[in-house]
Amino acid sequence: MQKILVANRGEIALRIMRTIRKMGIKSVAVYSEVDRNAPHVLFADEAVCLGPAPSNQSYLNGDKIIALCKQLGVDAIHPGYGFLSENADFAQKVEDAGINFIGPSPAAMRIMGSKLAAKECVSHYNIPMVPGIDKAIENIELAIETADKIGYPVLIKASAGGGGKGMRIVEKASDMKEQMERAVSEAVAAFGDGAVFIEKYVTSPRHIEVQVVADKFGNIIHGFERECSIQRRHQKVVEETPSPIITPELREKIGDAAVMVAKSCNYTSTGTVEFLMDDKLNFYFLEMNTRLQVEHAVSEMITGLDLVEEQIKIARGEKLSFTQDDLKLNGHAIELRVCAEDPLNNFLPSIGTLTKYVKPTGEGVRVDDGYEEGMEISIYYDPMIAKLVVHGKTRTEAIQKMLQAIKEYKIEGVATTLPFGTFVFEHEAFFSGHFDTHFVKNYYTPEKIKEKQKANAEIAAIVALRYWMDNQKMINPVDNKSTSWKRRLAH
Amino acid sequence: MTDANKLYKVRANEFVFSFDAKEVAAVDLIKKSPLEFNIIKDHRSVNATVLSCDASGKKLTMEVDGESYEVEIKDTLDQMLDVMGFGAATTKHIKEIKAPMPGMVLEIAIAEGQAVNEGDKILILGAMKMENSILTHASATIKRIAVAVGQAVEKGQVLVEFE
Repeated sequence: MQKILVANRGEIALRIMRTIRKMGIKSVAVYSEVDRNAPHVLFADEAVCLGPAPSNQSYLNGDKIIALCKQLGVDAIHPGYGFLSENADFAQKVEDAGINFIGPSPAAMRIMGSKLAAKECVSHYNIPMVPGIDKAIENIELAIETADKIGYPVLIKASAGGGGKGMRIVEKASDMKEQMERAVSEAVAAFGDGAVFIEKYVTSPRHIEVQVVADKFGNIIHGFERECSIQRRHQKVVEETPSPIITPELREKIGDAAVMVAKSCNYTSTGTVEFLMDDKLNFYFLEMNTRLQVEHAVSEMITGLDLVEEQIKIARGEKLSFTQDDLKLNGHAIELRVCAEDPLNNFLPSIGTLTKYVKPTGEGVRVDDGYEEGMEISIYYDPMIAKLVVHGKTRTEAIQKMLQAIKEYKIEGVATTLPFGTFVFEHEAFFSGHFDTHFVKNYYTPEKIKEKQKANAEIAAIVALRYWMDNQKMINPVDNKSTSWKRRLAH
Repeated sequence: MTDANKLYKVRANEFVFSFDAKEVAAVDLIKKSPLEFNIIKDHRSVNATVLSCDASGKKLTMEVDGESYEVEIKDTLDQMLDVMGFGAATTKHIKEIKAPMPGMVLEIAIAEGQAVNEGDKILILGAMKMENSILTHASATIKRIAVAVGQAVEKGQVLVEFE
């Protein structure tokens, strides 16, 4: 493999290219018209403009990217996450064009891309699944019958779903008809596929996922779990590993289950198996993400692996160079997604120019970012500016390191999730480990951040006033002199 | 008025505080270096740094706990001027809806001349994978739609005007 094209932008494109360079391979960046000065473009050995800013005219233009690869003699495409990364049709076209797709096979992507197909696929492997029905439900009678069997509350979910769309919680039978109709219509609108299914609604769920790495020789290992329960708008914002509630026995169990899921679809490359965990530590298979995850860096910090390097080696046809027993959990890692969103205003996007941008540094602090001071956060792409990742010997040390790093991270010009991070890492529930995916709903209000900002603002105001008053005292004699000088002139 | 009971209104970012000179003189503050201070307030020991100071404009930039604050000091005279100027600006009517955030207009749900009621959807603004419905907070008639579908708008840009 001599040359790899990275079909992505922002922090992940840059992060992937760093590994590509480390391995002595040439990198090709693609970019849209607004990203000409982006760090991933400046870093790459070669760079090609795909078109205008909107993703469907640039980063999602798979055919153009494939044509480009042929023209430039590219051996492999790394899709990153988002954009084309889970598009099985694209992966197929890449393979058909004789180019190496750095990721799983199109077949594995297809199976895991459909929640119903995924459930069917793993059902032969004795993997715990949330009680429910594993086929699309169309009529209301069957829906009510199923719900009666598994017990309320139940969750209606779109088979093609994601991001909370097409999802409805039903508390009682009389609500079923209306909620079914709304879920189906939402699913049709969002995914063009109205297939829905029903499962038990886990009331205090934690989101725990397991990193897997699989080569093309049937070797599959897991790289331990990640705890991703702190979410806003059904999207993760804080991730850590190991999970504060998982015992070594449970880790082995959930890790084995994840390996089985990967095995069920003949998975290759890196992937993530997501589980729901209830308050009694029962875990259930949720879905598999067939790509590199945003939060892969925390796993890298505790395992010492470079997951992108592993992906490239696997794509080249190499065997895994380590076994499950070789992997040891080293310390604790936490990630905060630094997004251009206003935590004081419902996490709405905050767009603007980064008038100040200074990264924290130090031992065990890693910042994966794709922006520099003076750059604009545009409306066209994901609002993530950076991933702030820290590593400590213990969880407490990692939390303290994170709080310090947030303080040192100076971003001005846009609102970010940094103050929300401080709120989370200082919160008793986070510290104790007793939290679930309802953390934001249960504990967070913008007022809590506001109160703290107000206390600091008051200190800024008092110190500024004292400083200014003291300065005035020193300047005053000069003023007086000049006045008397003026008076003298007038005489 | 003597120096000691002078009143100051101090704005730090979006927060406004009032202090009298006596109160400010009494805080437990030490100078660590010409621009660095430590203050103990409500038992909290906090460091604050003066990043910049425009003494004549009474504007300073401070850093506290990693965050920077734009501080503006108003003495008694400044406050009186504000009050006089303020009276003229209070008769503003809300006659339009502005974009609460930057984004792309994805859909316009109303037409010019249409009567709308409180809570009606005016348009959908999309940014970064999210769609946000912009609703009206008042019942009125649409005079003019100032944007078009597919247009990128800045925060604060007028979207529609009412009669």
